[in-house]
Amino acid sequence: MAQLNIPMQDYLNPGHLGCPGCGATIAMKLALRALGEKTVVVIPACCWGILAGPYPQSSLNVPILHTAFATAGAAASGIRAALDLQGDTETTVLSWAGDGGTFDIGFQSLSGAVERNEDCIFVCYDNEAYMNTGVQRSSATPFGTRTTTTPGQDWKKTRKKNIVETLAAHRIPYAATASIAFPEDLIRKFQKARKMKGCSRFIHVLAACPPGWKIPSDVSVKVCRLAVQTNVFPLYEVQDGTHYCLNNEGHRPVIDYLKIQGRFKHLTRADTERIQAQVDKDWQLLIKKSAK
Amino acid sequence: MKQVLEGSHAVSEAVRLAKAQVISAYPITPQTHIVEAISAYCANGTMNSRFLCVESEHSAMAAVIGAASCGARTFTATSSHGLAYMHELLHWASAARLPIVMAEVNRALGPGWNIWLDQTDSLSQRDTGWIQLYCEDGQEVLDTTLLAFRLAESANLPVMVVLDAFFLSHTFEPVDVPRPEKVDRFLPPLSPRFQLDTANPYAINQMAAPDVYMEMRYNIQFAMDRVLGQYDLLEEEFAAIFDRKHGMAEAVRCEDADIVLVAAGTTASTCRQAIADLRSKGEKVGLLKLKMFRPFPTDLIRQNLARAQKVAVIDRNCSFGAGGIFAQEIKSALCNVDSPPGVFSYIAGLGGRDVTQDTLEEIYLQTKTSHTPARESIWIGLNRELVESWRN
Amino acid sequence: MKKMRAFAEQLPLYLPRSNSSTVGNKTGTWRYYRPFYDEKTAPCSAACPVGEDIPRIEMLAAQGLLRKAWETIMEENPFPSVCGRVCFHPCEASCNRGQLDEPIAIHCLERFLGDKAIRDEKPHELAPPSVTGLRVAIVGAGPAGLAAGYFLSRLGYECSIYEAQKEPGGILRWGIPVYRLPEDVLRKEIQRIQKQGIALHCDTPVNGKLLAEIAKSHDALFIGCGYGRSIAIKIPGEAYIHDGHRLLQSVRAGKSARFRGKAAVIGGGNTALDVARTLSRLGAIPVILYRRRKQDMPAFAPEVEMALKEGVELKELVAPIRIEAACDPSSVTESGYQVTLQKMKISAGEVRGRARAIPDGTKTEILTVEHVFRAVGAEPEAFWNMESGERSRQLSLSHCKILFRERPVVYGGDLTNEIKSVTDAIASGKQAAMALDIYFKKGRDHIESALQDHLVESGPALSMSAYLGRGRANRTSHLVSFDEINTDYFLSAPRIVPATLSAHKRSRSFMEIEATLSKNESIKEARRCFNCGICTECDYCRIFCPEVAVTVDKAKRFINLDYCKGCGICVTECPRNAMVMGEEKL
Repeated sequence: MAQLNIPMQDYLNPGHLGCPGCGATIAMKLALRALGEKTVVVIPACCWGILAGPYPQSSLNVPILHTAFATAGAAASGIRAALDLQGDTETTVLSWAGDGGTFDIGFQSLSGAVERNEDCIFVCYDNEAYMNTGVQRSSATPFGTRTTTTPGQDWKKTRKKNIVETLAAHRIPYAATASIAFPEDLIRKFQKARKMKGCSRFIHVLAACPPGWKIPSDVSVKVCRLAVQTNVFPLYEVQDGTHYCLNNEGHRPVIDYLKIQGRFKHLTRADTERIQAQVDKDWQLLIKKSAK
Repeated sequence: MKQVLEGSHAVSEAVRLAKAQVISAYPITPQTHIVEAISAYCANGTMNSRFLCVESEHSAMAAVIGAASCGARTFTATSSHGLAYMHELLHWASAARLPIVMAEVNRALGPGWNIWLDQTDSLSQRDTGWIQLYCEDGQEVLDTTLLAFRLAESANLPVMVVLDAFFLSHTFEPVDVPRPEKVDRFLPPLSPRFQLDTANPYAINQMAAPDVYMEMRYNIQFAMDRVLGQYDLLEEEFAAIFDRKHGMAEAVRCEDADIVLVAAGTTASTCRQAIADLRSKGEKVGLLKLKMFRPFPTDLIRQNLARAQKVAVIDRNCSFGAGGIFAQEIKSALCNVDSPPGVFSYIAGLGGRDVTQDTLEEIYLQTKTSHTPARESIWIGLNRELVESWRN
Repeated sequence: MKKMRAFAEQLPLYLPRSNSSTVGNKTGTWRYYRPFYDEKTAPCSAACPVGEDIPRIEMLAAQGLLRKAWETIMEENPFPSVCGRVCFHPCEASCNRGQLDEPIAIHCLERFLGDKAIRDEKPHELAPPSVTGLRVAIVGAGPAGLAAGYFLSRLGYECSIYEAQKEPGGILRWGIPVYRLPEDVLRKEIQRIQKQGIALHCDTPVNGKLLAEIAKSHDALFIGCGYGRSIAIKIPGEAYIHDGHRLLQSVRAGKSARFRGKAAVIGGGNTALDVARTLSRLGAIPVILYRRRKQDMPAFAPEVEMALKEGVELKELVAPIRIEAACDPSSVTESGYQVTLQKMKISAGEVRGRARAIPDGTKTEILTVEHVFRAVGAEPEAFWNMESGERSRQLSLSHCKILFRERPVVYGGDLTNEIKSVTDAIASGKQAAMALDIYFKKGRDHIESALQDHLVESGPALSMSAYLGRGRANRTSHLVSFDEINTDYFLSAPRIVPATLSAHKRSRSFMEIEATLSKNESIKEARRCFNCGICTECDYCRIFCPEVAVTVDKAKRFINLDYCKGCGICVTECPRNAMVMGEEKL
């Protein structure tokens, strides 16, 4: 136990409405441990809109502003402006959106905020579909996934949008990926982001969803570890949109990751090979970018 | 001090005097002069405020929602498509009970693209829970904007200050711009009823189940009702300092009028001249200028129209499939009155088409000579040839 | 002014704003399956003859709590420095880590902890036992007798040990060479046992008369006299064969002669190896003569390899059938012998689990050597043969046999153990101590059933810690397999290799071959241990729990059942299978 650099104070309360094994809950739990009590959280429509608790309850011991679906980036900007005017530059403004509120409907306001270099931490906790409304596809849904709007043979044939690369193109000062299965790495990144005041920071957290990914509730963490170990979801950081730093190298074949999730069980060997080729290619590109 | 200002700058001067703290806007003709002026004030330090140049109107409203939730005094401005784009968040801002003030320049919606006066944009947002106040001239714009901040912050409801595209926004008039000290007496710094605070953390705007949602909505209506009851008191406070008052509506020579023209915005200004001329010819005509549209001052409307025989409502807007929006609201206000006047609904001046005195006289004559309205909405000033070209 | 105030009057607000926490929702009602903290048994502990709590020892060592780690060993075994050197560590063969990369060097760690305790010279603080007032006499101060004394005195018995030799230790002192077990290490560990208040009478061989006396003045007897007599080889020329056991003994007594030339050593066990390697150091060129193949040798394989590296020659599949003096039979001094060797071959079938060797026709070979030694086994002195007696008066346990006479007589150590090893001898002493304690407190009929309660897994190892009601008593007997370890939490890392003397240096002296690990090396190696089945407080259950339903109180973890939804993440993530999912008990 002594080896872990993980702060122990929790700001998440039990009694929330998360599904058993909810990865998004673990993500928030760890993030707040890193960020501490001087944090204001902006939550657009997403699972966390419900996890945060219905009126009159709140499942967090930090202030939360619930906002409309597309607006996390803009609302966070407004909060930042107000706090700064009040002389409070210490409180962290945390925009906490799902993949819908980051990749799709929320992309505009995120892009705008990042382009303005707003002093906020923008987080996407990514369960790779619109889970809150019943597992419909998003642009974060990976190639090969069955969702309720990519069902049967219409499983998603387009690849997952790369949000970190997109924001790197904005030359965001700091962008990183994180996985709930690597708590120390996740917390390090949040602590680093917290200290980088005065600019935009983005963290993309992979957070498994048992009902949406069709996995038993006990393997949420394990599957997020496999994603990293198979290079499907590499852990890396990008400074100023150009300096890449890999945090982990995976050596397992993608089949190890795909085979334990029901949302992929329709894939043939040829499909899997295609996915492996895609993952390998992306990984090679990442290596190239991170080479000194 | 009296200055010659265009209507847009009557807004920006009021925003400066009000010391709005966070302003966020996206440019759209003909609102641009408002936000450019405020942006310059923020840049040169005249205003110790933040101006967020967001990437859309939807984000502009979201940004001020965020800022207002933290207890900042906020302002935005838009028009037409920008307002329509914000629509979802107009509902949000009012149900979130945020005292946001917005200047809304009445401009036509496309297609076809049209940047000129039309009231459909603001009126089609009448259900969003915003207080709507219409202005006739530059002075009224400045006064109303100052009032709007006080009103919003007392009722915890957002307020829309509406001014006509170009006819008001880009028209220069003498406007008395009060001294800051006077404004400070009327408008103290915002003392928020609630705000995001890490020392006292709570969540706002979360899920509200059927067992509580309706009561929260009722609380909004409750506030709207109180605004109707308290607005006069507010105006008296304003008058005590600035010696001006505009009223929720203004009745001009309605006491003995057979026919009352009803209009809002600069149209009301043209009406004043029209009825003066008609009166001089012996016509018994009056004008009811509408200022407060939400909450709708039903009692005041009834009071001022009950005695008339006919009412001619001039709508520079149209709710297709129904008709002029002001007319619908007037009709509905009069429906339970004993022997209500006949209401004639005229659609005129859409998309910047001018409503001149001649137009108004035509409206008056048609009203006078018709026993009942020929149809639910009468379109005035149509180009017959153009209509014929596609009708047959 | 009244009007102004009236307008400023605050409107009542009712909007979605929280005023309470979700802790009011007892989401525990959602689940139908819940996690339990469930410590289990590690395969290393089960394989250890004395059932040491190895995962806990390594956990404490990894945390730098070296004293506590040592004390954990001492709960079950008073000879860590000894066993760390001479035990054949079956624990390492069963180590689950071995299926990831390499087993933990458990014996090196045990040795380090034992040596450190000796160096620190701190006394072993034991809880004072409740004195029983009973007295036990122990015959033989070998590992079995000394262990019996250690455990019995911890249970409150007054012990006296009677030892024939002038110094205690048995095979540890008089058999095993010092390059495997230095004398001072042994002495320190024996002295520590003595300091518990055991009366040690050396130079006191127990004959019939003395035996009768001590039987009368004690409430029970433990016979741990070992195999004192070496087995002879009945072939022509047997008189020329020297007793390998006696050679080792004389070397340990400080009377080491020098030898020159080739020396044949007949036998294939550990003693034969010790004899050969000792001869090598005394100047001879040893050659081991073994009737089967190298892989059939009962000796510990790593020792065989070390012997070969030191230049000991091994002749497989040969059996001596005749020894004749070479050249000058009238010479008084040894001048060489001709050993006729029957060549052997492996036939089908096994004898007692070992390959069967039969003569390969009439093929023979002559080997000329300067000396011949035998080390083909040992047996107890005839005096110590156990009486067959009535069945009803005997109780056979795994590591000892009890005769119920006027007072119980327990035979243990090599006399009774199937596996004749030092650690099994210690296990024998422990079993005897527990059996006697149960006998005196509950009666003979309770011995077997009571011992069952304190087995490590299904035995035969027993846990004194469990017997004394300490924490270990709560471990289940489920043996943790490699598949049950969450290897995601462990990075491959090589096993530590202790420094050793070069082969050249080894065969020149009796210096200890293998060095003790340093503290840093030990801690690093201990960190590789999975700690199968026990909670090391890694805290991953608490870190990951989405319901914040894991609490800690005084180093123990609890599930908050008000909120636990039974998702099972804690159990699946636990790196070492110290948790289990189970049904709700309604």
